[in-house]
Amino acid sequence: MFNLIRRDVILQKRLLLTFIPFILFFIIMDSHPALIFLVASIFIPFNAYAYDEKTEVNILLNSLPYTRKEIIAARYLGAIIYSLASIGVASAALLAFSKPFALSDIAIGGGLFFLFAALTFPLFYILKQGYIFSAVLISFLVLAAIGPQIVLYMSDHLPAITEFLMNLSTTALYTGGAVIIGVLYAVSWGVTTVVYQRKAF
Amino acid sequence: MENVVELKNVTKNFKGFSVKNINMQVKQGFITGFIGANGAGKSTTIKMMMNLLRPDAGEVKLFGLDYRTHEKEIKERIGFVYDGNVFFEGLNLKDIKRIVGPAYKKWDDTLFYKYVAQFQLPLNKPIKTFSKGMQMKASLAIALSHDAELIIMDEPTAGLDPIFRRELLDLLQEIMLDGRRTIFFSTHITTDLDRIADYIAFLQNGELIFNQSIDDVANNYALVKGELGLLDRDTEKAFVDIHRAPTGFEALTDNVKAVKKTFGESVVIERASLEDIMYYMKGRESYV
Amino acid sequence: MQIIISNSSKEPIYEQITSQIKSSILAGNLQEGTALPSIRQLAKDLKISVITTKRSYEELEKAGFIYSIVGKGSFVAEQNLEVIKEKKLKVIEDQLNAVIINSREIGLSLEDLQDLLNILYEE
Repeated sequence: MFNLIRRDVILQKRLLLTFIPFILFFIIMDSHPALIFLVASIFIPFNAYAYDEKTEVNILLNSLPYTRKEIIAARYLGAIIYSLASIGVASAALLAFSKPFALSDIAIGGGLFFLFAALTFPLFYILKQGYIFSAVLISFLVLAAIGPQIVLYMSDHLPAITEFLMNLSTTALYTGGAVIIGVLYAVSWGVTTVVYQRKAF
Repeated sequence: MENVVELKNVTKNFKGFSVKNINMQVKQGFITGFIGANGAGKSTTIKMMMNLLRPDAGEVKLFGLDYRTHEKEIKERIGFVYDGNVFFEGLNLKDIKRIVGPAYKKWDDTLFYKYVAQFQLPLNKPIKTFSKGMQMKASLAIALSHDAELIIMDEPTAGLDPIFRRELLDLLQEIMLDGRRTIFFSTHITTDLDRIADYIAFLQNGELIFNQSIDDVANNYALVKGELGLLDRDTEKAFVDIHRAPTGFEALTDNVKAVKKTFGESVVIERASLEDIMYYMKGRESYV
Repeated sequence: MQIIISNSSKEPIYEQITSQIKSSILAGNLQEGTALPSIRQLAKDLKISVITTKRSYEELEKAGFIYSIVGKGSFVAEQNLEVIKEKKLKVIEDQLNAVIINSREIGLSLEDLQDLLNILYEE
């Protein structure tokens, strides 16, 4: 199982060299720390999918002594491990450039990553190979474009909700967000496992 | 245990194609050749043996175990060599070993390097630069490095030159020397199997026509040549398919004894190659 | 041990093997107790299937030319050459008797028959 997670690093050996410059680019561009944490988290897990699309990797993995459950579990656990590690690296980079950031930036960046992962991971197994990556890219752009609009719209037209949110303590807000994202991630994991078990290669 | 693989009434349906009611055993310690034209359903059957595909009906057992309960135990004991490259093509053999090796409990690095040296494979070049033959050898080296008891090969000789094919056959016989291993080998190049296979399973249009020892195939099937005048409605029954020419007929029989009884010395009876058998079986098809 | 296999021969391959091993044993080239290659080794050396070599050894064993010990392999059995010679002699006698009967039918004399035999034997 650990081996399944580790393979992403072996696969992305060369690509990982671009990881630091990639983060530095965002830092130098003076991006919001939360955004930096988000893109840092996304880097490894989504590149892993890009790699997997290129080969008959599912045939390989399923011919090795792994169960389908494990293969999916490695994806979801791996995403957690790699995003945490990436956030660590990004924090170090921010510190090195003496850019200030708050824990809430990490929480927002990480939270958005897990939300995005929960929504897109199943797509990699539901959609046909070859379409997946573009689908995910488009959905990411759409989300980035309309996401803020929705939030604005909500704050304008649904004052009840915003008021409710405003009245929550920060702890309650973050815990609530974490719980919701955690549940979504777990559901996504379950759905993907079921989908993957029914797949033919 | 006698049968390493056991398929019972296995059926798989696709749009416009199906593998129907396959009953097949693969015997321990022997080389079984799996023959059939392209599209006969060989790959589908192999995928079901590897649990890449689940049958719609029927039972697939390897080493007497079921995939539903013993997936890892089963795959631990299988080495696979597929037609195309399934390994990450950008990686070199060393990295592939680092990914694939730890998957197996019985992985043996020393053994792996031994085969890599024997097959003269480069460790530091990406797999995508390998020739077809080298890719096949790389798969085989990996299959042999975890002490697999069953080696499943899907069209390993397709696209290889004759010299390389001979080398492979030699190698397969070598790894069979200790008698513990079993090889299941699909191919449409039957000359590879005419010599070294112990059992032949013949699939046509998704149906298993036979699964016999090479001895039985040689005893039951033969090419018969004779004058056209010998053929009539009764005598034709002994044949699977008949090719007529102005100079005489040539036919395949699956019952040599009956032919000898009916025609005696009036016909020439020759050994039928696997290719002959496949060819005439195909002919029978077109009449039905 | 030398074995030459002809793919174009009508004789099945397993029979080619048994008959060649038999003659080696009868000619004394393979001595009693000599270990034969394992069926798998022989199959590899001859580039034929294991089932074929297995069958050859089984036939040889049935005929008493070799014996097998599980886990050790196959060995040339003790050959009572006198008995074998006697058996062969009996066969030759029978065949000669048939020749004599045929010769009498067409009135071939003993001398003519001896001449014929001389010529054929020399060939």
